[in-house]
Amino acid sequence: MSSAIRMFAKKLAVQIVFAGVLLLAWEAIVKVGGVPPYLVPPPTSVFAAFVDMATSGILWQSVGLSLYRMAIGYGVSLVLGTVLGILLARSWFVKTTAGSVVLALQSLPSICWLPFALLWVGIDERAILAVVVLGATFAIAVATENAIRNVPPIYLKVGQVLGAKGFVFARDILFFAALPEWLGGMKLGWSFAWRSLMAAELIRKDSLGMGRLLEIGRSFNDVPMMLAAILVIIVVGVTVDWGVFGTIETKVRRLYGLQK
Amino acid sequence: MTLEVDNVSRTYLGIRRNGTQQVAALGPLSLTIPSREFFAVLGPSGCGKSTLLNVIAGFEKPDTGRVTLDGKPIMSPGPDRAVVFQEPGLMPWLTVRENVEYGLKLRGIKAHERRERAMHFLKMVHLSKYAEARPHELSGGMRQRVAIARALALEPRVLLMDEPFSALDAQTRDLLHDELQRIWIETHVTVVFVTHNINEAVYLADRILLMTAPPGRIKRLVRVPFARPRQKTSSDLSIFATMLQKEIKEEVDKVASREFDPDWTPATRSEVLVDPAAEI
Ligand SMILES: Nc1ncnc2c1ncn2[C@@H]1O[C@H](COP(=O)(O)OP(=O)(O)OP(=O)(O)O)[C@@H](O)[C@H]1O
Ligand SMILES: [Mg+2]
Repeated sequence: MSSAIRMFAKKLAVQIVFAGVLLLAWEAIVKVGGVPPYLVPPPTSVFAAFVDMATSGILWQSVGLSLYRMAIGYGVSLVLGTVLGILLARSWFVKTTAGSVVLALQSLPSICWLPFALLWVGIDERAILAVVVLGATFAIAVATENAIRNVPPIYLKVGQVLGAKGFVFARDILFFAALPEWLGGMKLGWSFAWRSLMAAELIRKDSLGMGRLLEIGRSFNDVPMMLAAILVIIVVGVTVDWGVFGTIETKVRRLYGLQK
Repeated sequence: MTLEVDNVSRTYLGIRRNGTQQVAALGPLSLTIPSREFFAVLGPSGCGKSTLLNVIAGFEKPDTGRVTLDGKPIMSPGPDRAVVFQEPGLMPWLTVRENVEYGLKLRGIKAHERRERAMHFLKMVHLSKYAEARPHELSGGMRQRVAIARALALEPRVLLMDEPFSALDAQTRDLLHDELQRIWIETHVTVVFVTHNINEAVYLADRILLMTAPPGRIKRLVRVPFARPRQKTSSDLSIFATMLQKEIKEEVDKVASREFDPDWTPATRSEVLVDPAAEI
């Protein structure tokens, strides 16, 4: 066994033991310490609530619906944000006019738009998607702009000498030179969209979704279900954030020699 | 083929204590560089060496005059005037070979021919073993050799080099001097080579342009009379370099007395230990 694998196995073992001890301690404190289970349920009832949700199908429907909304909303904001970012980086006019508006909107949590949505259209699917799109678009736009502006000028010169002009330069050199930072922006946009979606789903009464599971639990005073919902939200979030974006980013950064 | 620099000058908008004003950076200056010549440009810092090179490369437009290659005026950068910069500027997302091939690909050269040509020039800089490596896996000196191979692969009519070795350590630089001399003997490509290093210029060049303090003009054009291959250690070369060093010192002192605080005085001649290896 190589030392790298041994290190990894050791780390994993320590983490599993730590999690086990934590769960046991939690169970013990609740059972022995007399904490009312309707406020802090023991892990066993959280697990039971999870199994309930899974067997009734409500869990899978919710995860599916939330991911579907993310796919649509985030997909739209990726396109919009990237186009806007390219314009901000390349067009003096767009930068001068829309630049400060984008910066201002980027600092505003998109959930602040929900009350408007309530007023204008009510909380329906359009409102949820709008909040997701608003949450991610400006962050992606700003990151895309910076990614392009930070491309070292030497690449422009090298491109000119080698004969890469206009679209060919953008496709072969600018895109790849900006890629690592742009990926960082995509990841940031995803986490903004994700936060916005969970908040919006909490409010929408007539549909499922992971945020909604939390709210259903609350309306039945079902704390185990609420905690189970929280855990599901964490697991899905981490899977996409680390598993998808993190992996791609690490791959690219390694390829470029930006990290070991 | 000749490279003709005709009455070229360039000013920049500079920021001074009393507001912005036009600052003359270069010339006016005229030169004729014949085909297959190794031409070095030597002068004090800020005298416009890079500006001259950038005008020839087409990155910058001169304020007056023009540069022509075979009588055709230079309008924009292009692969007929390959440039090697101080930093290698390799594309980290491509392998070493792909970096060398990229310019050929843009010219529509077929994959297998491209590959052959890239490998030929990688061999010339002794890097064929590293063809499939990524730039970040190479040392600084190796990267600069890839940059040279990439420029040569374009089969340019002029190879422009702006202090290509000045970011490297002394040993690596010595090695690359030998490589470049050998490559030049092999290819006889026309080279315009900007440097601070007198020894480097004397070792490599057919002719050396000594530039004046800014705005850079021709102080003197010197022919280096030694046959190739030259030896770094030859005493002829160091005597020649010492002679040039004295002339350059005058220009450096001029720059210093203009730029430095008023209490600065040049060291008197007898105090100066003339060291031709010193960078100016
Ligand atoms: N883009 C620019 N804007 C303003 N001034 C410039 C610009 N580029 C060069 N200059 C000025 O023009 C003069 C010549 O610059 P240049 O870079 O050609 O000198 P150099 O001989 O290459 O110097 P070094 O040996 O230090 O590289 C300098 O005074 C410099 O300040
Ligand atoms: Mg320079």
